[in-house]
Amino acid sequence: MSHIHLPDGVLPIWLWVSGYIVAILVGVILLRVAKKEDSTRRLPLLGMMAAAMVLGASVEIIPIAYHINLTIISGILLGPSLIFLATFVVNVILALFGHGGITVIGLNTLVLSIEGVVGYFLFRLLWRMMKRLTPAVFLATFLSLFASTLAMIGVVSLGTSHYEELIHSEKKGFLGFEFGKEEHGHSEEASPEKAVNLNRFIAIVLPLSFIGWVLEGVINSLIARYIYRLRPDLLRLERNAL
Amino acid sequence: MIQLSYLDYSAMEGKSRLHRLSATSKVIGMMLVLLFIVTMRNLPGLVLLYLVLLALFFGSRVPLKIFSLTFYPLIFAIFFIFISGFKIFFILLVFLKVLCGSTGVVLLLATTPYPAIFSILGRFLPSLFVTALFLTYRSIFILLSVFEETQDALYLRGGIQWMHPWRSLTNISNAFGHLIIRGIDASEKMYEGMILRGFKNKIHYRGE
Repeated sequence: MSHIHLPDGVLPIWLWVSGYIVAILVGVILLRVAKKEDSTRRLPLLGMMAAAMVLGASVEIIPIAYHINLTIISGILLGPSLIFLATFVVNVILALFGHGGITVIGLNTLVLSIEGVVGYFLFRLLWRMMKRLTPAVFLATFLSLFASTLAMIGVVSLGTSHYEELIHSEKKGFLGFEFGKEEHGHSEEASPEKAVNLNRFIAIVLPLSFIGWVLEGVINSLIARYIYRLRPDLLRLERNAL
Repeated sequence: MIQLSYLDYSAMEGKSRLHRLSATSKVIGMMLVLLFIVTMRNLPGLVLLYLVLLALFFGSRVPLKIFSLTFYPLIFAIFFIFISGFKIFFILLVFLKVLCGSTGVVLLLATTPYPAIFSILGRFLPSLFVTALFLTYRSIFILLSVFEETQDALYLRGGIQWMHPWRSLTNISNAFGHLIIRGIDASEKMYEGMILRGFKNKIHYRGE
């Protein structure tokens, strides 16, 4: 639930267009920073981790409407610039399966890459401090998922006035277009009461997400341990990390 | 995701009119559906759009198994109804937008081979991105075949049992770890194969 599973047409146009613009700008900068040779060499790894993320996203834990993202473990393996490209690719493929709208790909990429990039840096920092793999991965996962869920809630809250408009557009025209500021000339009785309740949304999302963060933290730690035992070179750590 | 092979099979082997239509026209059609979804705030209009998409879906003889994919996003849309204070109009509006969007994209993918869709994207997006998209799509199939083997190993080790959550979590994590390592090995072999066949940072398509 740490990224936006919203359909097309629910978020305001300015919001998702801005999401695309910012995602493209960040993508261009990050890919310029990454060494070109290194990016090409690591493309198959990127493809495989993105595929694992897509598969993870398809394993739905229905009671808590949560699916594991594997973004943090992918971020740790890929590094901050390639994880951004990986999340872009994952979101395009997921959108092609109807898992999140096409218009929210930009915003979803930003939110998901927060997870991957923050996860990567937190893991490196915690690893340097603790020198223990399992708690470092668990904490990095938990905190990154918390950060990306907050970002998702932030994005959803930016569209509040638009949801109000949608809720009260029942009696509008066929397409419900409104080009100007709405109903300046109308009296007070025409203005609808506030129907959007973000607090309720947050009160439901945060506790369920908390279960998901813990679950994903444990799964990521165990995956990292497994990878460390068989292919420690992928994690680029010194020996005896367990 | 297991239905991916069905999607691919349907896209490659389907013989309906929609299958025969060029990929460009179908992508343009999808963009129009998207425009409709973004601008429409009217329930009868969205119901009409959904009915048209359903008629196209069943008219194209896409395997029924794939249809369930279109309902998957509803699980997450349920969260969104809490924002509205359970206003029935808003709930129906969101659900219909979800169903129209997911039916549209699944229909596109089930009637158009993915290299054709990626080649269209390649006209607008950098080659690095399109190559990553292609490799990811290919890797999903590799992972799915590894996953089938892993499933047997998972069951032999006790599988997923709600009565033993820690053992289940360890099994799931080991399965994912195994998937990732086997997948990375396979991807490295694939990359070496691509280099041997002359891959130079760009995948070329034969056209539609």
